[in-house]
This record gives sequence, structure tokens and C-alpha cells, in this order.
Amino acid sequence: MYIAGIGLVFARGRGIDSLGEALCDGWKPPSEQGCACSGKKLNLAYRVEQEVLTGSAVLRKIRRADRFSKMAVLAACDACGDSGISFTGRESSLGIIVATTFGPHATTFRFLDDVLDYNDADVSPTIFSHSVHNAAASYIASVLDCRGPTLTITQFAFPFQHGLLLARAWLDEGRCDHVLVGTVDECGTAMEYICGSKLRIAEDGKIRPFDFSSSPSAVPGEGSVFFLLTRKESHKKYCRISEVSLGGESIAQDRPNICIFGADGMAGDESTYRHAAPPYTTLAGYAPLFGSMMTGDGFHCAAAALMLEKQMRYANPVQDNPHDMNLCTMTEEAHMEDIHCIRIDCLHEKAVVRLKR
Amino acid sequence: MDDEKEKKLTEIRKKLKELLVENLSLEDISPEEIKDDEVLFGEGLGLDSLDAVEIVVLLQRGFGVQIKNVKQGKEVFYSIDTLARFVYQNTQG
Amino acid sequence: MSMKVVITGIGGISAAGANLAETLEAFRNGRRNAGPVSLFPTTLPYPVFEARAGSIPPRWERKGMRTLSLALSALEEALADAGLRVEEDLSPLRVGICLGTTVASQLNDIEFYRSYRDRGSAPMDAVDRYLKGNLAQAISSTLKVRGPALTVVNACSSGTDAIGAALSWLRSGICDVAIAGGADELNRVPLCGFGALGIVSETLCRPFDRDRGGLNLGEGAGILILETESVARRRGVAPALFMAGYGSACDAYHLTAPRPDGTGLEAALARALAEAGAAPSDVSFINAHGTATQDNDRIEGRVLAGVFGPDVKFLSTKGFTGHTLGAAGGLEAVFTAAALREGWIPACAGFVHPDEEIGVRPVTEITSVRGPLAVSTSLAFGGNNAALVIARAEDGGTWRSRSCTLRE
Repeated sequence: MYIAGIGLVFARGRGIDSLGEALCDGWKPPSEQGCACSGKKLNLAYRVEQEVLTGSAVLRKIRRADRFSKMAVLAACDACGDSGISFTGRESSLGIIVATTFGPHATTFRFLDDVLDYNDADVSPTIFSHSVHNAAASYIASVLDCRGPTLTITQFAFPFQHGLLLARAWLDEGRCDHVLVGTVDECGTAMEYICGSKLRIAEDGKIRPFDFSSSPSAVPGEGSVFFLLTRKESHKKYCRISEVSLGGESIAQDRPNICIFGADGMAGDESTYRHAAPPYTTLAGYAPLFGSMMTGDGFHCAAAALMLEKQMRYANPVQDNPHDMNLCTMTEEAHMEDIHCIRIDCLHEKAVVRLKR
Repeated sequence: MDDEKEKKLTEIRKKLKELLVENLSLEDISPEEIKDDEVLFGEGLGLDSLDAVEIVVLLQRGFGVQIKNVKQGKEVFYSIDTLARFVYQNTQG
Repeated sequence: MSMKVVITGIGGISAAGANLAETLEAFRNGRRNAGPVSLFPTTLPYPVFEARAGSIPPRWERKGMRTLSLALSALEEALADAGLRVEEDLSPLRVGICLGTTVASQLNDIEFYRSYRDRGSAPMDAVDRYLKGNLAQAISSTLKVRGPALTVVNACSSGTDAIGAALSWLRSGICDVAIAGGADELNRVPLCGFGALGIVSETLCRPFDRDRGGLNLGEGAGILILETESVARRRGVAPALFMAGYGSACDAYHLTAPRPDGTGLEAALARALAEAGAAPSDVSFINAHGTATQDNDRIEGRVLAGVFGPDVKFLSTKGFTGHTLGAAGGLEAVFTAAALREGWIPACAGFVHPDEEIGVRPVTEITSVRGPLAVSTSLAFGGNNAALVIARAEDGGTWRSRSCTLRE
């Protein structure tokens, strides 16, 4: 299946070009929130700036939507726009798959505020409606007038990769001609508290993808990235997704031009990344640009798509390399044919997405 | 007596407008810009069924007033005016 | 669509029964096991359909993870029905797990949040349970199988859509066997939420009835074992039931209200029937979504009348189970398969007076069903419409498509 368009929203902006700029510009520190007084640590995270989520004509149609849904709608609409494919409305040949790790948890907690502050009969139905995980998909469908199949996935293990697998099955079955597959995850004060308790947060704000530590450091991130996928090669703008493998099924052993590691401190022990790629493969890990997310693989695939389209490779934003691996250290033109995006979860299972020109 | 009633109604209308703008995420309008006789649903403010049930909860929380059923809701929710009068009637005595 | 997918096992737990045998008994007797909420404290007066105390076997009880416990209970029944032993039979195969849920996907533990909000800190037990309790992943870990594991969170159509996704997996060769369906526990958060939306009834629900006043919430799990026909035959199973078709279409209309003209449901039905190579006249009955809300039953009822004609045989089993949210699609697929196997459907519990606006009425007594095809429909919050076609094998052990109108 082919990538016809990409849209995204993250800490460094909105749109595929903003990812390209971030890849060129390199690492920037995360934002800080909270009060550093009385010994409390500041919460570091790569948060989407509020102004990115205001003012757009698209958002005017969805006034009640929360941040979670707004990020998804912007990214999904931008993916369609980026593709240049004209969707004529009442679109039944477009499917939507949204993958998330934690869903709109900030809204769920706002609803719990109501449950705690008021009696059970006086809670807000609007907040409840938005805490339902498929709200984002519903908004995307409404804004695009998309009448095809829609599905939301919520899980910790490879949500994005499962979304890609299902999209390919839908396209193969002819269930739809195109599928918008994307990810969305958000930050929030309660979730940042949980991350601070359960994860090691990088004090200097730097994710180090090549430490291969058994207790790596993370910096929570948020954002959404959507791909418009199609069966038709004529719609291809970036590259094709040639394989999606889960759980260690073997993938062709030829060495890709670059292996992108999803190591970001979110899934615990990262020691098995050390041997995840064929020896001497050029390695990259761009999580230091957008933060730690179980759905971060979406951003890595977007980076891979850019590299294949532009015939470039991008320097690693953080080049700490204690194991002397072959890291990509320069941003430069390069011949790119085959990129593997690899993520290992907390059970040491591996998922690989293979993108080819 | 009528002055007293009118003063109360004005207060209620003001509070209602503020509640609506804040809780229904009405972005392009301030409470002062909402007319007393502005139609709430359809043409006018353009509120919908989800806003309607939200208003039911706002009335419960903000004024302690219950809407008994959907039919009663439709009559009461016509405009800020009708809403304010309903609240006034159900909070006296 | 030449490859057929066989349903080799089914299992279900809900207020209607701890297993299918008990459930069918409740259906026969018209017994509605509803009552006030007992699982958690609430001031809400709504009747609910809780699984009877003791209906989850102790070996499947997972403290603080009731959705998973319900799912494990139904899973055991489905695997036994399929004659599949976990270590001997499942381990060598690629087994996909595809399950729908709503409650279990959310971090919504009230005590955790109360502590965090009031004190700035909270014990992590609830978070740990949440991290271990993702439905598909937890089932996959329990069975120690290899294959994809997907948790579908599509509101009220989660279970149906999970079955549809499993169907897609099997047809495209992603796995050999799929465990599909849905599970959800009764929980204070959705009870408050749906109550605030004004669609919960203070009396027992009355699907499709003129005087219906909203839904009752329930809980449960419904699980099906799906296999490609070749895998089933290879282990000596003669197919009796098929998952013949799935269709899904979004309303693209509103976050909480369904599209009034019902075109989304029509499109989902059309696709499911086309995949099954069937015409509406081939369908012997429909297990409808039938939540007993004003909007759902009016729109769904009119679509069923329009597509299947004025004599359509249909019912809602939510009069026996309540609306089990993420479990509904799974449970109702199980009930549809069971009805084809048994040859009868129960009366639509709760229905008394027809609604002229709908124009058709559900069955009011136990009704025999002879044809080989049935449909189950789901209409979700957020506007997703989903339909499944289930087929019973006819003489000769196969079920033939008349024609396949889909392009490959």
C-alpha cells in the first residue's frame, strides 16, 4: 500500500513540513510546567502549543472537541489535503483507523472531576461524550463527510502497527479505496504524574535512543500523525509500506539503508534494541524531537517517508553512542530505497514496518 | 414587585448567558452579545441535541432546577427569555 | 471472498446467564434478571443488568479487573465449544485476538483520581491493573499464543467491529484462528455519563415499544472462535456455522445523535449482505441493536422495515441483557449463532405496544427460524454502523454464496 499524504501535529508544529524542519534543525528542549518551588520537580514534556489548536477553519466546525480530538482532526485533514486527492463528499470509499495508547485521558479525568464534585446525576454529558475513545474518529468522519468504515484501537502494544495491518486488509478486501490511518496521544497533568512515577524522566530533557539501557529515560510527548493510504500506485506521493510484521516474524534479512529505532524510554528495558538490526546498519532514532509515546512509531514512519521522498537522511538529534553503533550523524542527500522502523515493547516483542521507495 | 421580578430575571438571564458560553464552548460570541430573545436551537445560536442535555445539567447545577421530560424541555429551551422565566418560576418560594 | 470463515465455538456470560445454556433457559422463560446497582455505590436509581453473583468461576476472577474476568469466562466456554485445547491445539497456530470494549480501555479509577486530585499523589495499584488489563493483550498473554492482538474501542459497536476485523485478518492470512467478540463490566462512569445524556430508563427497557423510555446498562462478554475453513477441516471439524459477511459505515453526522435517515446502517447492511452473497429475502431474522432509546429504535426499525420488508422477523436481546456496550456486539453475535443452531429466537423482552412511527414490530413470542442466514446489527455512539451476516451450513456441510458482487 502507498502513502498518498501525511498530516501531523506535534510539539514542533503542524504539517509534514514542520517535521522536516525539526529533522533538519535537531534537538530542542521540552517545555516545562508546574512550579519548581518547595522542591517539586517541573514536568518536562513535548507538548503541542495551544496556538496550533486554535484558529483553523477546520476547528470551527467542532467547537466542543477536546485537545485529543482536535489534534486528530487537524492531522487527518492535513493528510487528505497533502495527498491532493479530491474527495467529493459522502465519501464511502475512505476508511478511518485511529490508534491510541491512552485515549483522551485528560477528558476522562475532567469527567471524574464532575463525578467527584457533583452528585452522579449532575455530571456533564458533553465531557462524557468526549471521553469515549472513538470521539476523535467520529469528528474526523464528520468533518470529511466520510461514510466508510471507522475503527478506533486502544492498546499499549503496537497500536499503530496493528492499524497498518488492518488498513492493508481493508484495502485488499476492497472494503474501501483509501484508508486514513493515524495515531493520537496526549499529555495531561495526571498522566504526567503517572509517567513521573512509573518511568525514569530524563532530567536534561534528552531521550537517548542508543543507550540500550535496561531502565531508559523518557520525556513524555503528545501529538497526532495520519497517513492517507491507498491501493493505487498513481496516488503515491512518498513511498510504499511493503511489510508490517509483528512479534518477531521474520522479515527479509537484507540490510536497509536506515533502521529507525522506536527506543524512547516508554516501554522499559531497551537492551534488546542492540541486536535488533543487522550488524553495521545505519541507525536513527528521532524520538528526541517529538517525545516518548507508544504511538511514536507513526512519527518515525513519517520521517522515513520524508527520507524516501526527498532522498535524504537526517542526522540523529541526540548522538550519544556508548555502544559504538553506526549512527547517522549528518543531514545530507542520500540514496534511499528501504527503511525499517523497529519498535520493541516491554515483553521484548518486536514490530517492524518496512517502507520502500 | 414587578421591578423585583424584572431585576431577578435580568440576573438569571446574565448568568444563563455566561453558563452557555463557557460550558457549550461557544467561541465566537461573548455573553453580552447574546440577545434575550435569541432562538437557541436551529437558526439563532445553532445549538443541538448534545447542548440541550448539557443545559439540563447546567440548570440542575446552577439553579437546582429539574427538567422533567423531553417535551417540557422543548418548550422551555426556546430562547434565553423562556429559559430565564422557567428558572424564575421554579426557584421562587 | 472465496475463503470461508467458520464459527467453531461460542460462549457468553451476562445477566441472562453464566453460560449459553443458562441464557437460552432465560430466553425461553422470558426471565429478565435486572435490579438496582449492587457492584458500586451510586445515587442513581436506574435498574441495571448485572451478571449474577457467582456466575464468574473463581479461577477467572481477577481482582479489580472485572471486564477481563467476564471475558475469560466466556472464552473458556467458547474454546470448549470449539474443542480446542490451549496448549495442544492453539500453540502451533497463529491465533489472533480481536476484542471490543469501552470501560476496560479507560483509566477511570475514581479512588485513584480522588487521591491524586486531593493530595497530589496516589497509589499506583489502579494504574498497574490498567496497564496489565488491556483486553486483547491480557487474553493473548493468558493463552500464551502468537499472533496479532487488537483491542477495538468503537463504543457500542466495538464487539461487532472486532469480529469484522478478525474476519479481515483471517481472509488475508494474517492468522489461522481468531478469538473475537467483546466484553464490558458495569461501571459507575458510563452509568453517570449515559444518565446525563438523558437516555437511561428508570424502568426496565422496552425495545421498539411505543412508550420506550431509554436504555438499561448491563455487562457481560460474548466470544466466538473463528477459523478459516481449511484449518477447521484439517482438525476434523465439519463446519456448522459461518461468519459470512461484515459491513461497516459511518454516519458522519454527530457525536451522539444518529443520522436520521439511517443511510449509514443501510450501507453497512448492504456491504455485509453482499459479502455473504445474500439478498435481504434470504435472511431469516435480525438480532437488532434495539437499545430502547427514542432515536435508535426509530431509525433502526425503519431501516429494517425498508431493507427487509414489513414482515421482517427481528428482536432485541437487550431486554434480557441490558446494553452491554463493548460486549454487546460479541454477545449478540453469539446469540445470533446460537439461534441459528437451535432453530428459534426468543420474544423481544420488554416490547408490548408497536410504535406507528417505526411501522414494524419485533417478535412477541418464541419463534422458529428455518432459513440458514441471520443478521446482527450495531449502531454506535459517534455514528458507526455495523452489521454481521451469520450462516448455518446447509445439507452437505457447506453454505454456498449465490454470487459475489464485490470486486477483489
